[in-house]
Amino acid sequence: MTKVRELIKIDPELCTGCERCKDICPVNAIFGKKGEPHRVESSRCVFCGQCVQTCSGYSSILDEAETPRAEKLRERGMFESTTEPLFAAYCAGDALEVAAALRTDKFSMVQCAPSVRVAIGEDFGMPAGSLTPGKMAAALRRIGFDRVYDTNFAADLTIMEEGHELLARINSRATLPMFTSCCPAWVRFMEQHYPDLLPHLSSCKSPQQMSGALFKTYGADIDGKAREEIYSVAVMPCTCKKYESARPEMSMDGYRDVDAVLTTRELAYLIREAGIDFTSLPDEDFNRPLGTYTGAGNIFGVTGGVMEAALRTAYELVSGEPVPDTDLLFVRGGEGTRAASITIEDKTFKVAVVAGLKYVAPLLEKVRAGEADVDFVEVMCCPSGCISGGGQPKVLLPTEREEVYMCRRKSIYSHDKESKIRKSHENPDVQKAYADFLGEPLGHTSHKLLHTTYTKRDI
Amino acid sequence: MSSSLSNFIAADSEKCIGCKLCEIACSQAHSGSTAFTAGALTSPILPRLYVVQTPEITVPVQCRHCEDAPCANCCPVSAISRKNGAILVENKLCVGCKTCMLACPFGAIELLPMYENGKPVMQPVLCEENETSVDEAPMLFAGKCDLCTDRAKGPACIEICPEKALSLIDPARMKRDRNIKAAMSRLNTSQNFS
Repeated sequence: MTKVRELIKIDPELCTGCERCKDICPVNAIFGKKGEPHRVESSRCVFCGQCVQTCSGYSSILDEAETPRAEKLRERGMFESTTEPLFAAYCAGDALEVAAALRTDKFSMVQCAPSVRVAIGEDFGMPAGSLTPGKMAAALRRIGFDRVYDTNFAADLTIMEEGHELLARINSRATLPMFTSCCPAWVRFMEQHYPDLLPHLSSCKSPQQMSGALFKTYGADIDGKAREEIYSVAVMPCTCKKYESARPEMSMDGYRDVDAVLTTRELAYLIREAGIDFTSLPDEDFNRPLGTYTGAGNIFGVTGGVMEAALRTAYELVSGEPVPDTDLLFVRGGEGTRAASITIEDKTFKVAVVAGLKYVAPLLEKVRAGEADVDFVEVMCCPSGCISGGGQPKVLLPTEREEVYMCRRKSIYSHDKESKIRKSHENPDVQKAYADFLGEPLGHTSHKLLHTTYTKRDI
Repeated sequence: MSSSLSNFIAADSEKCIGCKLCEIACSQAHSGSTAFTAGALTSPILPRLYVVQTPEITVPVQCRHCEDAPCANCCPVSAISRKNGAILVENKLCVGCKTCMLACPFGAIELLPMYENGKPVMQPVLCEENETSVDEAPMLFAGKCDLCTDRAKGPACIEICPEKALSLIDPARMKRDRNIKAAMSRLNTSQNFS
């Protein structure tokens, strides 16, 4: 068994053993006796970080902790200047490492997931779901990133690759249903619990990893750099993305596609540490070409978003006609499972969307038994998709959480609605990337850079 | 007489799991800030009830709003008084003498730093090294449960508790209800003392 980095941890000095984290853990990876400090079993953990979001065992200034705060901050990879309260369950962070790397003469490229721009403002006192892509781009530039790119570009690229993969599977009667592979916690869960069903997972890398692979090839070429000169960072709403970026398949010739992953919260720490007043920043644009995105790429941040983006493109690939209504409301929704079908010309495609890892087992059992009547399934580990990810700003009170997630969701959809281009295949810089560098979807270069393989993993 | 007894909040130790959400909700209700994420907090979590965890028991402890409140009786600057059935501290009057802290039999009072607009309020104090000059130190006040009298939805701790372990006790009503229960119980038994 290969040892995985212990990403999600529980501080025994702060844990009161209330077991609320145990209740929310989708894979039963938390152990301990009621009323006593608990621990996370990393070999079982899918690193979704929902326990981090749930934990309320905080370090009080009225109690004397055994370990000084400065030491706890170091253990957690946080800056000494960070003043927020510390909670028992936490994700070991990389903000210190990224800050140090930005002081070197490496050429730094950064990408941001769709959900980060609808949440990071909250950590600076802005209202829930504040949409701040422009301020985020401005902040990243001021922190010192040489190129501010966007994961949404690669989300559009994912639709191109995954859409073609799905149609190829349907046309050649290959393994169906096909499952999305954007969510690393879901992929890890499949590798641990349903290794026999791995051929059902799309071979597409996640948007994070597609971006990273392009940074060190296409992106490096554009700036006339060698790939060893590039420092590639991703800002994610997700704690598991740290694990995904470290998977051995996610590197080429010893160079990782993504060198470091910051959560949304960690980016807020970096912005504060740099003394930047986030709320008064001007709006700036992402760099082209790897920062150009469509509304379809942006909705990857909510449950049902990958499905909706895929169907907008698939409809046109199959019929040659644009989808009658760009808003495919039937795949939108909340926590749990939903199914729908769409008829394109004379073919009916059956799709399903699962939000929340704990809801996926019944469907997988059906697939195992050969009884699943569905072609394409989107699975996201977190309850409302990535907007509710383990690395997002931590909502202090559970009574406010649903409302905050609703606001983030609304922002994601309004950003899509207001985009000039709302279909991935119409992204001009994705089209250019295929023309200049990648060739065609599922082609030789795509296969090498944008697709991956999966392995059975022991628990 | 008993109709004027003060209400107070109490927790059921059989239900309490020690999650401390009541402390966080209490702090949020009194923070005067709109920050709702951990990262946006500009002041520490400063609760007015305290989850106690020992090997034998887990339960939050808070003010009982005593009828003959020792904290109010001993306050040298009359900063503590009864208003609408709750024992309240006038923060601005408090001098931080800690007498109430010592007087409270439950340890329900804590000297808390005062925050305004996310920044600690500072006050001039005598310099320890040189008695003729002044220094700055955070202003402290006696923080205690105020039954969330200014909060539309009532006490924040009761609302947040995932185990419904906390409740607002109305002792006069509770006594009346128990009287009725005791009387009704006679219907089901052959008790007759006459």
